[in-house]
Amino acid sequence: MKYYLMAALVLSIIISTLIPKSYSQNNERDLKGHITISGAWALYPMVIKWSDEFQKIFPDVKIDISAGGAGKGITDVLSGSADLGMVSRDINAQEIQKGIWVVAVAKDSVVATVNADNPVIKDILAKGISKDILQKIFITGDIKTWGQVVGSNNSDPINVYTRSDACGAAQTWGKYLGQTQEDLVGIGVYGDPGVAEAVKKDQFAIGYNNINFAYDFKTKSSVPGIQVVTIYPALPPRELYLVSNGQPKSKEVRAFLRWILTDGQTFVPDTGFMNVSADRIKEDLEKL
Amino acid sequence: MKRLLADRFSEKFLYVWVILSGLILILMMGALFYRSLPILKLQPLTTLIFSQAWHPSRGEFGFLAFIVGSLWVTTVAMLIAVPICLLTSIYLVEYSSKMLREIISPFIDILAGIPSVVYGIWGILIVVPFIRIYLAPLCGTSSSGYSVLAGGIVLAIMIFPVIIHISMEVFKTVPYELKAASLALGATKWQTVKHVVMRRAMPGIVAAMVLGLSRAFGESIAVLMVVGNLARIPKSVFSPAYPLPALIANNYGEMFSIPKYDSALLFAALLLLLVVLYFNIISRMILSGIKWSNYYYA
Amino acid sequence: MHKHAIEEIIYKALMIASCLIVTGVLFLILGTIVFKGLPYLNWSMITQAPQSGYYLGHEGGILNSILGSLYLTGGATVLAFMMSLPVTLYLNVYAKKNSRLVYLVRFAFDVMWGIPSIVYGAFGFMLMLFFGIKASLLAGIITVAFLILPIMTRSMDEVVRMIPQPLLEASYALGATRLQTALKVVVRQALPGISTAVLISFGRGIGDAASLIFTAGFTDSLPTSLFQPVATLPLAIFLQFSSPIVQVQGRAYAAALILTIIILVISIVARFLTKQFTRNIVR
Repeated sequence: MKYYLMAALVLSIIISTLIPKSYSQNNERDLKGHITISGAWALYPMVIKWSDEFQKIFPDVKIDISAGGAGKGITDVLSGSADLGMVSRDINAQEIQKGIWVVAVAKDSVVATVNADNPVIKDILAKGISKDILQKIFITGDIKTWGQVVGSNNSDPINVYTRSDACGAAQTWGKYLGQTQEDLVGIGVYGDPGVAEAVKKDQFAIGYNNINFAYDFKTKSSVPGIQVVTIYPALPPRELYLVSNGQPKSKEVRAFLRWILTDGQTFVPDTGFMNVSADRIKEDLEKL
Repeated sequence: MKRLLADRFSEKFLYVWVILSGLILILMMGALFYRSLPILKLQPLTTLIFSQAWHPSRGEFGFLAFIVGSLWVTTVAMLIAVPICLLTSIYLVEYSSKMLREIISPFIDILAGIPSVVYGIWGILIVVPFIRIYLAPLCGTSSSGYSVLAGGIVLAIMIFPVIIHISMEVFKTVPYELKAASLALGATKWQTVKHVVMRRAMPGIVAAMVLGLSRAFGESIAVLMVVGNLARIPKSVFSPAYPLPALIANNYGEMFSIPKYDSALLFAALLLLLVVLYFNIISRMILSGIKWSNYYYA
Repeated sequence: MHKHAIEEIIYKALMIASCLIVTGVLFLILGTIVFKGLPYLNWSMITQAPQSGYYLGHEGGILNSILGSLYLTGGATVLAFMMSLPVTLYLNVYAKKNSRLVYLVRFAFDVMWGIPSIVYGAFGFMLMLFFGIKASLLAGIITVAFLILPIMTRSMDEVVRMIPQPLLEASYALGATRLQTALKVVVRQALPGISTAVLISFGRGIGDAASLIFTAGFTDSLPTSLFQPVATLPLAIFLQFSSPIVQVQGRAYAAALILTIIILVISIVARFLTKQFTRNIVR
């Protein structure tokens, strides 16, 4: 009996310290609350910056951000695990049908990366890589050596890296090459930083990253050890979205979104992203 | 009187508790089965298991590549682990001094306690480059290092403790009289081990191996970090593969954005559960058989 | 030399080599973790949460994961204990000897012991969907509780089983009911063993990542609520390890080192308790 009482006591102490306190909100200045955001790595640096700035103005709003890929963002939003999802690819019809509500918040691009000590790096930097060759590397597997890429005799093997988690970068890359993420053939690594690190470690690697993970966010130069490659035709910049399950109802979330689409946009260029067009912003503000 | 009431009541209460706990297993199977139904209705079981086509966005869910990948990685792990573990446990039980056994046992326990992420890190830091830079060129191929072999090596080490622990227990149950009789007939120690001890311990050893196998089959984190995650049937031990548990761990995030994907992944979990269950039941039955038979001999 | 003598020597050499491989690998793994993690283990690492996001931030430490893991595994251990102890007591004190129920339940737990943690994670996820809980500390606690339940129950069971029957019979002879015997005699006798079982389960629970991927989420902040996502050491390692940014990797290595240290400490304490148990047991 004693042990039961002890266990019950311990458990109740733990629970009582963790039960969320109730919130009361009068006006905007007293904005309190908790926002959970999850999803694509592509938007992660931007949303971090936004939440830092937003919390300077409204210190009582707590924002939790985790990255797990665009697919996870959608899943979490639909299952109620997150208030907002970060998505770096187009929303498809089924998702809209399930109730996904979208605003565009920034733009970025996906870049191709190789190891800085790649044997044919000089040729690659001089000529770039064409979409045709990339298709043969990532999709069909016809091109297997670095020599074939630049037209030399080099017989070093190409180690292809792609994403193992469901993410926007892979979807965007796949779309550029005319297929989907599933058709990309390569070693699947988890997460955008994962691919960057894998390319950094493997001399013969080729991969792709969201631009903000190929370049270090803080130091503004490319991550040491990897080299971004020019590809032609160039990958057009893509829109990045914040999604929610239906129109957001909570006051904090609406305030945050409104702030992002207005004052928040000033932080966009410094963080390595591009602004969404003014018209699109106006449209989305009206949605709110 | 109060004591008796308390006793009666607690008996009933605990009885319910026990029944509930026994039902957890059934609950898990039932829940997984229920969530797998949509995909079972979509495609016949044979297609699901034997088709290689894995294109969820097109509605094609063929698990063959993953099943084969799992089998390859587990087989490699067993090929590495079984000889090493058997030799180690024979040495510790039959040959070594008690002191040595006392020293090495804690090490094996520690090995058992190391979390799987840590194994994964070690795999990426040491095993993958080792394969890429030394082993693959030595065997005439090239590899990124993320391969069946990497997964096999890491898994083998993870299952060392299971196999060694149970094998040691089994070897200890071989009665001394048998070994003494063999030695008295003039056999050397090793001959005794090879012909007498092993034969007697064989069911237990098999059980130990099967438990190790099921542990290797079900491991997800350590494996997905080193195995390459490519949904094709591996061509050699140096090619990447995509075992079932890694599939579930990597893709649960996209479960709800592609139709039927959640059902497919939970079906994979169900498959995993059934295979592991099967192995576990067999080996437990063997092991409990051994415990009983020793009542008769000892 | 005689053929069998040669065979003996060869196999003996192989056996010693195997032992060396097993222990050598252990030291290799521990050595790698210590070598990589020690440089990053400093006061600010264990007292701060990550700044500017755990994926990119250069400053900050892993306090969020340390506290999160302790809370989550602690809660799961308590929850599992509340089910393990009654079941163990029932199986060993109340139930008739060699009854089929006892055999079946023990068998069921043995089998559950072998179920991969990712299956528990999937099951936990389904419970979350069913009850509408989102990825949170609570979901993590429930899932890990299910994961460690078989381990705790079977370990406790093995220990309690060793209590000699005559001890229980003496208690009954003095007029005690089964409940009194269970609580006052059995538990007191088996206390070191029960504590060991709890400790081992805690150790298993704190290191497991697969069950947490689905259910606990991850966050930069310290755990303050049962219903918010929580950071844990295994996920801290998994998510931050593959980052090219050195400081982020450093957090992963430090977390790995801390986790390994926790496991080592638990191993040592559990061994010590087992020795205590066999020394003080009534024979």
